[in-house]
Amino acid sequence: MKTKKIIFFLTAFLFAGFSFTLNAQNVASDSTVVASTSNVSAQSSGLSYVTESILNFLSSTGFAGLTWDTLIMIVIACVLLYLAIVKQFEPLLLLPIAFGMLLTNLPGAGLFNSDLFAGGHIHWESFVQKGGLLDYLYLGVKLGIYPCLIFLGVGAMTDFGPMLANPKSLLLGAAAQLGIFATYLAAVGLGFTPQEAASIGIIGGADGPTAIFLTSKLAPHLLGPIAVAAYSYMALVPVIQPPIMKLLTTKKERAIRMKQLRIVSKKEKIIFPIFATTFISLLLPPAAPLVGSLLLGNLMRETGVVERLSKTVQNELMNIVTIFLGITVGATATASAFINIQTIMIMVIGVLAFSFGTAGGVLLAKFMNLFTKEKINPLIGSAGVSAVPMAARVSQVVGQETDPGNFLLMHAMGPNVAGVIGSAVAAGLLLTLLG
Amino acid sequence: MEIMAVNWANALNVVTFSFTMVFVLLVLIVFVLNIFSRIVAPKVRVPRNKSGIDPQSPANPLEKEYVEAHLTAGQSAAIAMALHLYYNEVHDEESSVITIKTVERRYSPWSSKIYGLNNLVK
Repeated sequence: MKTKKIIFFLTAFLFAGFSFTLNAQNVASDSTVVASTSNVSAQSSGLSYVTESILNFLSSTGFAGLTWDTLIMIVIACVLLYLAIVKQFEPLLLLPIAFGMLLTNLPGAGLFNSDLFAGGHIHWESFVQKGGLLDYLYLGVKLGIYPCLIFLGVGAMTDFGPMLANPKSLLLGAAAQLGIFATYLAAVGLGFTPQEAASIGIIGGADGPTAIFLTSKLAPHLLGPIAVAAYSYMALVPVIQPPIMKLLTTKKERAIRMKQLRIVSKKEKIIFPIFATTFISLLLPPAAPLVGSLLLGNLMRETGVVERLSKTVQNELMNIVTIFLGITVGATATASAFINIQTIMIMVIGVLAFSFGTAGGVLLAKFMNLFTKEKINPLIGSAGVSAVPMAARVSQVVGQETDPGNFLLMHAMGPNVAGVIGSAVAAGLLLTLLG
Repeated sequence: MEIMAVNWANALNVVTFSFTMVFVLLVLIVFVLNIFSRIVAPKVRVPRNKSGIDPQSPANPLEKEYVEAHLTAGQSAAIAMALHLYYNEVHDEESSVITIKTVERRYSPWSSKIYGLNNLVK
């Protein structure tokens, strides 16, 4: 009830201000006409001078610059804030994104100037004159710094043990990348350029930093809608995935109990990041920044000799970068960039991307069961779309609906982590082919 | 009409090549990890469980065949628990003779019913 009242008063305040400013603008233009025709009387009147000053002040406020599309964007930002605060949908990201969106659409504030990044380039010569706070912070996105730093933190927080214990889970992570490529085809079919289609397709990787990294390189003008779609759908993984998982599996398959994972030694956990970084980076150099950051973070965690650094990248660094990334990505969602048919198409295709990714993982797990002696519960295939660890949790929950004694979480963490590597590899490939 | 104008051959090439490459790369990592786990992963020697032969009581213990196997987390926990109990919670050795002594004097003023009654003053 209280929330409804706050929303009502906020909306009423905005509309009142907007209509008042419109009237003020009309009066100002009328008064200019009147002033030109009866110049002597207007100048002699002190009252007219005061009125003019007030009108000038009003026309210089942000209210005067409000248009219907900026109002719509402010409403969208408020809806996202509501989802983040009240519904708690990925609040750590959605809250700064929504607030960045709100800031960038406030006319006159000049916090973010998209023309400084027009044409996919940074116009350094205009930065000193025009650069606002968000422009400077946005450089981290534009130069691909934030996604890599986020990956550093993700790596330091992730245990690769389940994947090392069951290397086959890497295949499920690969199959779940079907979402990226199916969406790429759909986007190309809808008339997007190959670069734009690749950026839209990467939503299917369910990996925010990777989506931002690739989009900032291939289609920076779509960064706002793609980031919002990627993070919104990641928050909706528990809603999107279960129906697809249930549709593609039988009750018997969902009840499969998997053999417990073997113990992974510390030596294995330390050697893996060094080996994988070298191998993937040599084979696919454009993927090196993402994969290298991810596995460096993981190496810090596993060695145990840099405990302070590991804790810093997991907490302080990760939190600071999340704030900067969220607020600047939200800032790219200006009215002109967001309110168009492309954004609606991106939102629709984004759901398809997640659905195809989920289906790809589940279907490969079923296919593998035809040949393997030790059966895999197909539900863990859906965790191959990254979204760590939410997708793994969904596998666990859906599995326990069929058999409450079945614990799939650690098994699902394997494909889940493999999905992060898979989507980084896919991004590197798309960058190589289309960049 | 726009759909017809799309260069589908190019798009399909990109998709086929990329998806195949993702698989190839990850299959290679699976292959390497499998080799890697054979070399580095911790293993224990356990008796081979042949059908019809009880590994606990072989005819000749020297002929018992062993295989190397990975331990699961559950198995490790069970072994660790057993070792812990063996080393840290060793009980005193008892004679195993039941020593219940019969009570010879069953009556005691403390349990006598007569003292529990109220002796009211007449």
